[in-house]
Amino acid sequence: MLRYVIRRILYAVPILIGVSLLTFLLFYCTVSPEGMARRNLSAKNPTPQQIQGWLHEHGYDKPRSEQFKKHMRELFLLRFGNSDASGEPIWDRLRVGIGPSFLVGSLIFLAALLTDISLSLYVAYYRGTYLDYWATFLGVLFMSINYVVYMIGGQWIVSKLLRLAPLAGYESGPTALKFVFVPMIIGVLAGIGSTVRFYRTVILEEINQDYVRTARAKGVGEQQVLFRHVLKNAAIPILTSTVTSIPLLLLGGLLTESFFNIPGVGSMTFDAIQSQDFAVIRAMVFLGTILYIIGLTLTDISYAIADPRVRLE
Amino acid sequence: MLSPTRVCDWNNMQFSATFSNLLNNALPCGIVALVLIAIVRAGRTPLWAEAYRRLRRNRVAVISLIVIALYASVAALDSVGWTNADGAWTSVIDRVFQKPQERYYSAPFAFMTVGEPKPHRLNARHILGTDAIGNDVFYQTLKGCRTAMIIGGMTLLISTPLALFFGIVAGYFGKRVDDAVQYVYTVLNSIPDILLLVSMLLVLGQGLWQLCVALGITSWVGLCRLSRAETLKHRDREYVRAARALGAGHGRIMFRHILPNLLPIVIITTTLGFSGLVMTEAILSYLQLGVGEGTGSWGNMIDGARLELAREPIIWWSLFAASTAMFVLVLAFNLFGDALRDAIDPRLRS
Amino acid sequence: MRISGRPFWVAISLLGTLLFSGCGNNPYPAGQAGKAVLFRAMSDDPRTLDPSISYMSGPESATVDSIYPSYFHYHFLKQEPFTIEPMLGAKMPERRAYIVKSAGKTINGEEWIFKIRDDIRFQDDACFPDGKGRNVVAADFIYAFRRMADPKVPCPVLSFFEDKIVGFDKYIAANRALDEKKQAADYSAPVEGLYLDPKDPLVFHIRLKQPYPQLKYLMAMHFTTPIAHEAAEKYGKELARHPVGCGPYVLSEWTPKKRIVLTKNPHYYRDLFPSEGDKGDREAGLLEDAGKQLPLNDEIIYSTVREGTTAWNMFLQGYLDSYGVTQENFSQVVSKAGNITPEMKSKGITMRKVVTPGVNYLAFNMSDPVVGGYTEQKRKLRQAISLSIDAQAFIDLFSQGQGRTAESIVPPGLFGYEKNYKNPYRRYEPQLKKAKQLLKEAGYPDGRDAKSGEKLTLFFDTRTVTAAGRQYSALLVKQLRQLGIEVQTRAWRPNVWEERVNQGKFQIIEFGWLADYPDPENFVFLLYGPNKRPGPNCTAYQRPEYDKLFEKMRAMEDSPERLKIIEQMRDMEVEDCPLVFMEHSEDLALNYDWIRNVKPHAIANDVSKYRRVDGATRESSEARWNKPIYWPILVFAGFVVVGSIPAVGTVKQRRTRRLRRDSSPSAELKS
Repeated sequence: MLRYVIRRILYAVPILIGVSLLTFLLFYCTVSPEGMARRNLSAKNPTPQQIQGWLHEHGYDKPRSEQFKKHMRELFLLRFGNSDASGEPIWDRLRVGIGPSFLVGSLIFLAALLTDISLSLYVAYYRGTYLDYWATFLGVLFMSINYVVYMIGGQWIVSKLLRLAPLAGYESGPTALKFVFVPMIIGVLAGIGSTVRFYRTVILEEINQDYVRTARAKGVGEQQVLFRHVLKNAAIPILTSTVTSIPLLLLGGLLTESFFNIPGVGSMTFDAIQSQDFAVIRAMVFLGTILYIIGLTLTDISYAIADPRVRLE
Repeated sequence: MLSPTRVCDWNNMQFSATFSNLLNNALPCGIVALVLIAIVRAGRTPLWAEAYRRLRRNRVAVISLIVIALYASVAALDSVGWTNADGAWTSVIDRVFQKPQERYYSAPFAFMTVGEPKPHRLNARHILGTDAIGNDVFYQTLKGCRTAMIIGGMTLLISTPLALFFGIVAGYFGKRVDDAVQYVYTVLNSIPDILLLVSMLLVLGQGLWQLCVALGITSWVGLCRLSRAETLKHRDREYVRAARALGAGHGRIMFRHILPNLLPIVIITTTLGFSGLVMTEAILSYLQLGVGEGTGSWGNMIDGARLELAREPIIWWSLFAASTAMFVLVLAFNLFGDALRDAIDPRLRS
Repeated sequence: MRISGRPFWVAISLLGTLLFSGCGNNPYPAGQAGKAVLFRAMSDDPRTLDPSISYMSGPESATVDSIYPSYFHYHFLKQEPFTIEPMLGAKMPERRAYIVKSAGKTINGEEWIFKIRDDIRFQDDACFPDGKGRNVVAADFIYAFRRMADPKVPCPVLSFFEDKIVGFDKYIAANRALDEKKQAADYSAPVEGLYLDPKDPLVFHIRLKQPYPQLKYLMAMHFTTPIAHEAAEKYGKELARHPVGCGPYVLSEWTPKKRIVLTKNPHYYRDLFPSEGDKGDREAGLLEDAGKQLPLNDEIIYSTVREGTTAWNMFLQGYLDSYGVTQENFSQVVSKAGNITPEMKSKGITMRKVVTPGVNYLAFNMSDPVVGGYTEQKRKLRQAISLSIDAQAFIDLFSQGQGRTAESIVPPGLFGYEKNYKNPYRRYEPQLKKAKQLLKEAGYPDGRDAKSGEKLTLFFDTRTVTAAGRQYSALLVKQLRQLGIEVQTRAWRPNVWEERVNQGKFQIIEFGWLADYPDPENFVFLLYGPNKRPGPNCTAYQRPEYDKLFEKMRAMEDSPERLKIIEQMRDMEVEDCPLVFMEHSEDLALNYDWIRNVKPHAIANDVSKYRRVDGATRESSEARWNKPIYWPILVFAGFVVVGSIPAVGTVKQRRTRRLRRDSSPSAELKS
């Protein structure tokens, strides 16, 4: 197991090199640094000296090769430096933002997982009836609604018309629940279509297995078959399919966080996009890649743990 | 500096008025014709004939297809046009649906503007009302069709050949080539999609074509992986060996023999991918990275309508029109994609 | 159903508890509404709270000015005209002649002698010994000037002082040279113009090369606030996030993208609510708190709320104390007669007009081959365009008719603004004919080039990529089409736009300027040649006559003679028409009546300390307006349950069928 994990980590190195190469090409060879400087100096009209100073400070006045070296070094040591827009150390912002992002993200994730599993069981239980048909159709319907429309509509209905949750904002601790309420509903609805369809297929596949027939033959009731035997076995593909996305929860939701004013990593990225803060976006791209690779490794490992037939070699 | 006619739509070159008219129309007509010919010709092959038969029996699929065709024809009609008296290029849709401009918001079928201190009488009736500067919302929604179709279509035109080429080459040659291709797409795939997209758009700048390029580059990985896996399966099949024995070159084997066998899976993937692309446009517009102004798009309309729900009376029609138009198209593509999958590949049936 | 329903019901009950545990839409901790707290929103965090760098209106300057007071401030109530009075200063500064000797020549300069109060204390902060703030002395003021000259501190108003304070330009140059050598700026080098009185630690002198009456306004801006060298040395750049001031508030929390909390400074000096005001202030109840120690509230909370819709709805729910009238909420707030609507009034909302001296305009690029240039033809082309643009339509659409069409560059409320002046090249309906005539004379009859017959196409570069920006350019296109001129809009993201403007890569742009201080110099300098882009003169308009007049009026006190010069300059700029004047904006501000002592001030930013809060009213109103509605959820749940009932039957049937099938061995074989 340990050897496998080490090999996976080593395997990640060339990918990370590729990603940082790509980001360097993207960010250093295509944008004019003067433009960035001008925007980021909080003056109505900065003087050339001020711009020069800014460029110097952020290392944009150095030759390409040196920039490249610095870029690679910074990323691999996870020294992301300061934000281009605010001058703040990026790690400081990440430290503040990761908490809310992870809390909100994992609440949405858990709610979605719970709803999806119970709904797919419900659908599987009533398979072949009008409920099955309508649930699948509604799933596709919910899938086809735009996320932006969800946010606008969700906030308007729940927070303005029904006054059940705050319009926007965030507090840590148990009060976070009321702020996360609307994003949670939206997150569940937007993903329900494709996930329930997938889970339903998985569950139905299990239902047709021999052991289920044996259980039935022994006189086990239908509900018990479904919830005891089928669910247990279907859980393996379901759980492994979701593990990949867990580390990415740290990055937060770009749209959700900015729309509902959750001070997480997602809204930080959103601001970086709006202000063309390349330092932050660069850091986020790299961090996202690392988290994604961690997610993949976790998936493999969890699969091995959940299913003894799988051997990691 | 002064340009006498509208800048030619398909490439940024200027032509004389008649020639540019011809060219402007030839391209969309050609694309429509090509698509129709492809569909009809495919129907002669046994696999597709069978699929068509299955599709025809599926009522949902037929309705979805009609909806998609409707959107496509609006988009096509919006791409066909000629210069008017002022020398401005106007499409068929412009000519039929462009309504006189009003001063301000007005509700569907209303007679007066709404929300102004002193309401004005409207110059015409508007099916879906007007927006803040008095543009007809229905007309704008129709204009969005073309943008959506171009985003979906162009992106797929960029990403599909890319994906197929690399996928087949990697699968066919294996070894070093395979490693290289796998490396490239693993790197691309490791960056979370939205971040890669955003970075590319920040660098490329705003605009319809930039958006298509960025989406194309970010969206080819899935299909590439699929076609690589499929090619691996086909590589050692009888028919490939036979072709090789008959002295066919690598290129011929890959693109004359293997490629047709990948088409079903390509078609299913692209159909299901289309709806995702249309939705992404709206998300990017929210991030202010959309197609930019001057190009009517549903994403722009939704983004603009973001502030309108707080008005009193509520201005719902812009948001409603754009999101419904997008919803129906995406729903149709999703339902049709599902039906197509069931029809072409019975193994995949759920 | 004993076992079967478990996960489903668990999910439902979890959702239910979640719902009822967090019921209500109050975004703040319970009980806070009753306290003396001001709740405000900002659309984004301030970039910096460094008083030498910050130059952004809105929450940023309100925060900075609440922490960092200056020598002068604007009288809260006396606004007709704006009255400036000492804040940290003990008295009005003394001004006397000063002879500058440089390179053998003598120049007639001016010396200002400032004396500050003796009871000012810096806030407690870890940068001071024992964490206790020390008294403010004159050296702290001089330190602020020296800090501006530090190349590490990008101070936007440095150029205002650079050529005026004696020896300051040399000092700045020396610091820059040090910076080139990667050395820190020298804070001890002597500067002739910045002089500390050796006898009195509370007195400092500023010596100028020329009379500069605007200095008093600059001494009211936060750039000239006293800065504790301990803080600047300890925090360096971090001073932007860690302000150490001597004002009525201290920063107690700044969670990025969430909120900023300012709390009352316990060591604030004696600063009393004014006891006189403009006519009508007493009747309006603005003098009820006269003579009370400021600040009148304990805390200000700025929450980051990005979406305009969200902020407006929060205001309607009572969770924000004040908000502006915008394009979106106008019809809900303002009645046909122009007053506040009864619906808003019944909620206890009051509306006030705020006129910030400022001007918005469209600017032509004067070095562009098509629209620029000083020939008669080019002038006429610009005049024709200016005539065809209906600024009122823009005001109607984007400011809901609030605002005045601009006729010239000086905004109302400032010296030099002529109420009755009518610009001959701004549009009144019948003059479209005149515009067409001018366009013909310019060589473009009906918008076509007289020689080549080509249609005239202009490019409009905008920096607003949002929906409102799209509307703006669409309206411009619509209006110029009346002349037969085509306009192509190019939208750039703001930094690209700024870069293009600074490089002169544009034909027409939209631009705006807000007063830094109430003097016309701050506006007419927008066309001063040496201020050419990348300075504030974005058009690169340059006429020696204009520049000469400007240099003359800059050093003058307000007088009929100065007015005459301003008029001469105006006539010049109107005839050359480098700008299409659009609007002097007027804003409407909304406040709940549980906030007292509200009188908007167009220039001052430190007015929060005067606000008094009636917490009890706020608390009861919020509770009354925000009762949650639960029944739709119950209806939905009921719908799902009832909808499932027929299927239960089907499944039961299926099961019995299967049971029957499974019990007969032949069934297996058959299937």
